[in-house]
Amino acid sequence: MADIYTTEWYSEVRDAMNDRIATMNGLPADEILIKVEIVGDGVSPYVEAAAERHFLVKIEAGRCAWYREVEGDDPALTLNYRFRGSATTFDEIAAGLEDPINAALQGGIKVRGDMRFLMRQAEQVKVLLDAYASGVQTSWPKGRPPYAPSEQVQVRA
Amino acid sequence: MTRTYDAIVIGSGHNGLCLAAYLQRAGLSTVVLERRHEEGGGVNTEEPVLPGFRHNMHAQFMEFFDIMPMIKDFGLEDLGLRTVMPEAQAGITFADGRPPVILHRPDLLDRTHESIARYSRADADRYVELKHRAAALEQLLAANLYTIPQPASLDEQGEMITSEFGDMGVGPQFLMKSPKNVIDELFETPELRALLYRACVEWGYPIDGQGTGAGFLLFVMWTLGNWKLVLGGTHGLAKAMTQACYREGVDLVENVMVDQVIVEDGRAVGVRTRLGEYRATKVVASNADLRQTLLDLVGEEHLSPLWVQRARAYRYGPSHVLGTPCFCLYEAPHYKSARWDPAIDRSFYTMVGFDGPDDTIRYIRDAYSGKVPKPAAGTWVNSMWDTSQAPPGRHAATGWYFLPCASELTAQEWAEVRATFNEQFLDVWHESAPNMNSDNVIAHKLYTPDQMERKNLMREGDFSNGEFSADQIGPNRPFPEASNYRTEVDGLYLCGPSAYPGGGVHAACGYNAYKAIAEDLGLPSPALAERGY
Amino acid sequence: MRDAYDAIIIGAGHNGLTLGAYLARSGLEVLVLERRHEEGGGLCTEELTQPGFLHNVHANYHTFVDLAPPVHDLDVRGHGVEYVRPEVQMASIYDDGTALTIHTDLDKTCASIARFSEQDAETFRRLYTEAHGYVDLLLGTLMYQPPMSVKELTKALSTFGVEGRSEFLSVKLRRETINQFLNQHFTHPKVKAHLAFHGAVCAYTNDVPGLAIGFPLLVGKIDNWHLCVGGSHRLAHALWRDLAQHGGVMVSDADVRAIVVDDGRAVGVRLADGTEIAARRLVASTVSVEQTFLEFLEPAELPAELPERVRKDVKHKDWSLFSVHLAMSALPQYEAAAFDPDVDRAWVVNLGYGSLEELNADFDAVRAGQLPEPRPNAAVNSLYDPTDAPAGSFTGLLRQFAPFSIAQGGEGEWESLGRWYGHRCIEAWRRFAPNLTDDSIIDWVPYTPLEITQKLPNMVRGDWMMGEVSLANMLDQRPLPELGQYRTPVDALYMAGSTQHPHGFITFAPAYNALQVIADDLGIDAWWRQV
Repeated sequence: MADIYTTEWYSEVRDAMNDRIATMNGLPADEILIKVEIVGDGVSPYVEAAAERHFLVKIEAGRCAWYREVEGDDPALTLNYRFRGSATTFDEIAAGLEDPINAALQGGIKVRGDMRFLMRQAEQVKVLLDAYASGVQTSWPKGRPPYAPSEQVQVRA
Repeated sequence: MTRTYDAIVIGSGHNGLCLAAYLQRAGLSTVVLERRHEEGGGVNTEEPVLPGFRHNMHAQFMEFFDIMPMIKDFGLEDLGLRTVMPEAQAGITFADGRPPVILHRPDLLDRTHESIARYSRADADRYVELKHRAAALEQLLAANLYTIPQPASLDEQGEMITSEFGDMGVGPQFLMKSPKNVIDELFETPELRALLYRACVEWGYPIDGQGTGAGFLLFVMWTLGNWKLVLGGTHGLAKAMTQACYREGVDLVENVMVDQVIVEDGRAVGVRTRLGEYRATKVVASNADLRQTLLDLVGEEHLSPLWVQRARAYRYGPSHVLGTPCFCLYEAPHYKSARWDPAIDRSFYTMVGFDGPDDTIRYIRDAYSGKVPKPAAGTWVNSMWDTSQAPPGRHAATGWYFLPCASELTAQEWAEVRATFNEQFLDVWHESAPNMNSDNVIAHKLYTPDQMERKNLMREGDFSNGEFSADQIGPNRPFPEASNYRTEVDGLYLCGPSAYPGGGVHAACGYNAYKAIAEDLGLPSPALAERGY
Repeated sequence: MRDAYDAIIIGAGHNGLTLGAYLARSGLEVLVLERRHEEGGGLCTEELTQPGFLHNVHANYHTFVDLAPPVHDLDVRGHGVEYVRPEVQMASIYDDGTALTIHTDLDKTCASIARFSEQDAETFRRLYTEAHGYVDLLLGTLMYQPPMSVKELTKALSTFGVEGRSEFLSVKLRRETINQFLNQHFTHPKVKAHLAFHGAVCAYTNDVPGLAIGFPLLVGKIDNWHLCVGGSHRLAHALWRDLAQHGGVMVSDADVRAIVVDDGRAVGVRLADGTEIAARRLVASTVSVEQTFLEFLEPAELPAELPERVRKDVKHKDWSLFSVHLAMSALPQYEAAAFDPDVDRAWVVNLGYGSLEELNADFDAVRAGQLPEPRPNAAVNSLYDPTDAPAGSFTGLLRQFAPFSIAQGGEGEWESLGRWYGHRCIEAWRRFAPNLTDDSIIDWVPYTPLEITQKLPNMVRGDWMMGEVSLANMLDQRPLPELGQYRTPVDALYMAGSTQHPHGFITFAPAYNALQVIADDLGIDAWWRQV
């Protein structure tokens, strides 16, 4: 079992996503660039309190082509989507304690981008989210959520 | 809350807007603070009676557009300013249906001649000749308008009068005559005199004012029949000016009353408003009237005793005090006099209810002496040239009554005037135009000097923000020590009609104020060689 | 005015100005033409009563100013617009002197509701919390992009399992009325009445099947109503300024009478005075479907069936608003303040509707062309924007649900009924605030549904939402399926006003969405699509 947030873990998640996607038909050929921003909230031990971790994820024809960790925003890149939320929210999703759709609906994860496309590709999006949330067994070396249930800070992006 | 700009302009009358545009273009960050919710001051068009019927509530005559620098310099015609120039410009018509006298556009002077000649060939010849001469002076007169007045200009006027008009029996003593004296000496036709008395007063020259006779020759004769109307109403000019200001980057804040000009060490450094302070690093310019600017906003403690005395002595009215009736009509008026000359039914400006010069003179004198005169008016039916000013098949008519200064009547009396005067005038109108009966009038309303005072802070209802008597015009306006737009407070300038040349839609007060500021701050002059100003 | 521009936009309401500003910022030469003498359309603010009293003739509530992308993209605040979010947003005052108040503070709102029903207060808290969580996401998804179909939308929501994750959202809402929704979740008639009233003021009439689907979103914004300082027209000026600063031109008093079509393509417009102006790349109309297709275009220039479709199938609201604008020397002092002092500081007050049945009965009466016994709502903007009246004076706005066309007589009847009905509305206000005697009312004017249409002909038959608000007339069906994506059967002609998705109100959304379609069609780089 890969430790959460290690390179191995991310690769396993990517593979889990691509395996599930492989069974789907009718995926758009589009190239989509997604930014995921995990904001330290002083509760999750995986991201420091005032820090952020940013990831770029490239989707091609529905598959995750690559991902990488980046610093800040590169003005040369055109993003299609941005997902931003507190570290604890992301942890909870990975631990299966929070549902990503719920997180979006409650404002725990802020989503920006062409929502119409997202809605039209609802099936695919759901598959990808499921893969992230439950596609990979993982271990939690620093502990898993909930860390401080009554004091959690919701980071408003 | 403080905001800092290089320049603050108090008031968005058309002069203030003009000044703001030039200042911003010259690189000064500029804000215009307007007490009302819309720009333009007296350049104002509303639908005060019924939706779809537009009325110009103050300014009606647009005679300076060909020479107004801002129009060319800021491309106002590309920013929505559209005009039309009616052929028949000014007419007087009579209840007994005798022939009208109609003054036409300058390119149609032969028609003017024909119209006057029906009464007097000599007057027709003389009028046309004076008009030619005045037109030939246009370049000079325009330059005079758009130049900071010099004290020497009074002597120059006398010389100009003699050299230009001497062969017509005009001499330097005309400077000292009243406009009535001048008109009576030059013209014999009672009907023409009646028209000219009123026209003269409309340009603010007090008809019996000794010492303003030159104004008739040099100013009134020049502007007579040169009038355009703005499509959509005069406020189209304000809108185009606002758009020009926006384009340059001027900030326009409406609905903010300036309570005070902040003076520190003898310098105007900003203003205090209901919303907080605005600071000016270089200029505070006031489009507000003189007394308001000096006594209310600056305050006596920051002025010398002389300036306090001058400000207190500055007089308002009675010449430029008007009431604006607004009528919503089915048909435009059809005059009895039209059987002699149908052009009277399509005259831009039509005088109704004046039987002759004595009538007109009494009317004017009554208003000046604080009495409500008999019902008679100058009228406009702009919807005849601009269908946007009334719903299809209808007409919007606006008028000017000369009325007493606002303070001459009590609030009750003004309410009474508003409730009754229009109906009285309609009876008179009906006598000259039989179709102007109550069936033809859908609704009407009267806007009186006391309301103008409240709406536009035109003290006494005087749209020139200061009487046009000989001691308050030209290089004496508002008073000699303040006649070049500067005040004794550093950085504080006057840019409204309390300054030269006074009321009227020419934007010269703003343009000249810019010239003064430009001189003082080393900004580019707006003058262009090809136009001479 | 020149004789050719890249883009000509008909109508300088907030949608026309918004679209114009974006296109100007994108480098196009833009001309926006406005028939009236003031830009802004429904944003108009006038001194209807006395000098110094600023009355918002139409739009009084700005609810989407923190969500709408144009507010940021066009730097509306930088152009001088200021908004105030009243702490006491809304209130209902009931006939028995009790009252309910909605605050920006959720606890205070719930405390107020709890005085009628603890259970309803808890339900409201859950509903608000849930809706508040997703409202920006859903509104951003639904309002600020070209529409999906209802089917696509419900399929996506179903795939995402939204229904299972929400106590209040469900697919069956698309068959239900707001009344039904309220009856399912709330118990007290007064609480239900207030919530239904809220929906009605948002033009979501409580007895129309299918509108329940939008209700949670309305609740999500129930505390987000903003007042534009200095009058709604300050927003119009800001949008105009942005347009002008980026090289665009707005010309008012310009009455468009025709769209010039050449070989199936819109190539310009013609004004009432005959002036023709060419449009090199597009013409966008923000006025009504009827004006655009029945007045500005010839039948020969359109698909054969379209004119008849416009005449028969374009649906308008079946109720309008009668207003009274007042200049006052006193603020209303409600007797109900004894029950809840906050009512005296409520921005908008429902005067009297205490049950769903009362609202339903009045809407039925209005639909039959009758004038109900007035239960107007009252807004006193001066409470939160003292600059809208001279110091010590106040503006008041009464709004009453009313028909456009009065039974037996039609809309012309309004000409003689305006003052009379206005008196009745003021009397209704006085019953709740007896201090509003004639002495404290300086002046007032009525503003009838007929006058709405006379002033703004694009609001056909007093329809201030520019199209019926119903499920059948929503999303890609609005105003007609063939016009639902902002394009029209005429090349280079777009519809970009409130006839389009989502609907009327100050949302900026029709223009923003039309912009997306125009950008895609014309290959304009969508610089505003920042993620």
